[in-house]
Amino acid sequence: MSAPGQPSSTGSTAVGAETEQGAAKNGAAQPERTPGDLVAPESVRARLTWPRLLVIPGLVAIALLLLWLWFRGAQLDDVARNSLADGNVWVRTRQHIEMTAISTFFVLIIAIPLGIALTRRRLRPATPVVVAVANLGQAIPALGLLMLLVIWLGIGQRSAIIGMVIYAVLPVLANTIAGLRGIDPQLTEAARGMGMSPIAVLTRVELPLAVPLILAGVRNALVLNVGTATLATFGGGGGLGDLIADGITNQRMPILVLGSMLTVALALLIDWLGSLAELLLRPRGLETVEGKS
Amino acid sequence: MSFWEYLGNRHQQLLTDGFQHASAVFQCMVLATLIGVLLAVATYRSEWAGNLATTTTATILTVPSLALLGLLIPVVGLGVAPTVIALTLYGLLPIVRNAIVGLRGVDPTLVDAANGIGMSRLTRLVRVELPLAWPPILTGIRVSTQMLMGIAAIAAYASGPGLGNLIFRGIASLGSANALNQVLAGTLGIVILALLFDAAYILIGRLTIPRGIRA
Repeated sequence: MSAPGQPSSTGSTAVGAETEQGAAKNGAAQPERTPGDLVAPESVRARLTWPRLLVIPGLVAIALLLLWLWFRGAQLDDVARNSLADGNVWVRTRQHIEMTAISTFFVLIIAIPLGIALTRRRLRPATPVVVAVANLGQAIPALGLLMLLVIWLGIGQRSAIIGMVIYAVLPVLANTIAGLRGIDPQLTEAARGMGMSPIAVLTRVELPLAVPLILAGVRNALVLNVGTATLATFGGGGGLGDLIADGITNQRMPILVLGSMLTVALALLIDWLGSLAELLLRPRGLETVEGKS
Repeated sequence: MSFWEYLGNRHQQLLTDGFQHASAVFQCMVLATLIGVLLAVATYRSEWAGNLATTTTATILTVPSLALLGLLIPVVGLGVAPTVIALTLYGLLPIVRNAIVGLRGVDPTLVDAANGIGMSRLTRLVRVELPLAWPPILTGIRVSTQMLMGIAAIAAYASGPGLGNLIFRGIASLGSANALNQVLAGTLGIVILALLFDAAYILIGRLTIPRGIRA
């Protein structure tokens, strides 16, 4: 079982391996759907959604509340206060969100059209090459990539964002290609047989079927970018990494804990938003099967 | 000083850093594999526990490594301790996930057959289930290793060992002639190590995946 979609990145790899397994399992164990499945979605959906909807934001809220209570009582000296001056915490948080949003936006407008193009008949021979490059690219450490760009393009947010885009394009691209290639050829053939144009086949059959994998890629890009954005601080890009780095270099534990906790909270919330999008944007017709697996 | 001259001058230092990087990642991977497979074995049979393990690991994976290091430093201090804990923790996650999926994916008829010929639970696990679940576990190990290579670089900021030190030293002397050389050497060193490890895993896969289930 040497996977062609060899797991490529933190989240997607584990997920990739899982879907691969899941797909194999589904193929073997549920050759046909029972009528019962048609009744199930509502209950399955409710059971899946509610914990997901409430647990993570609830935990994050409690953690932030505790952090706030603790931080109010923490002893701060001048060095520590300096790290917080002029609403620095809010500025850094906003920078972090901005960098994540901008880089994710570019990742999506680059990776998804590219993935679609690479699965069209004419470009299909190039797909394995791109997938191989995408996998190879994962061997490059994010830190090294970012710092090389900083040396090349100068310090600042721009270099950080470019680095984040390069780093996250590959897994999303791999997911899009895997999603489009994983579609049962009988379905596209049937669509063509009905007289659909290639565009119609793409927009009405292929893309809706690939939506779950593409959304998983989007979520993955968001999570990767939140993490990579913490490294922007080493190239003068700001973000919450600033607080963490300040805390480490100045040995000020309250700043370190504050920066780390805010970063963790932000990452969890963004991942939560991604999972929400996955749940809400998934085409209706796929719900039963996905809900079951 | 050109990059090649730099490599020639500093190869001793580079080799030491590279070796420390590889050895930190390798040791943490061994630890992570042991703990991960044990966790999976303990939880895969119960739907509830297994799902809890996968959800928890997926959640921890979303935590940026610098933030996790930041939370570990106040507790265990700087240096090797936070590095080892962070690397092992991140390394665990894909392994637990893939091991649970792999163990659950074992054909129930094979488990029945193993029971039928009188195997004990332990024998069944060691001789039937784990060998069949080994390919996804190995995939998890590969994924983890690649991820740890990058995280280990970041851990250098918490005074951890390895090639990340070169990158941080380079960026600290930004503008000097050697900045690029240092960052480039650190980055390429990590890429090379990651590829070497990957090649080793492919070889291990060839040698250890039972012949009957090889693709």
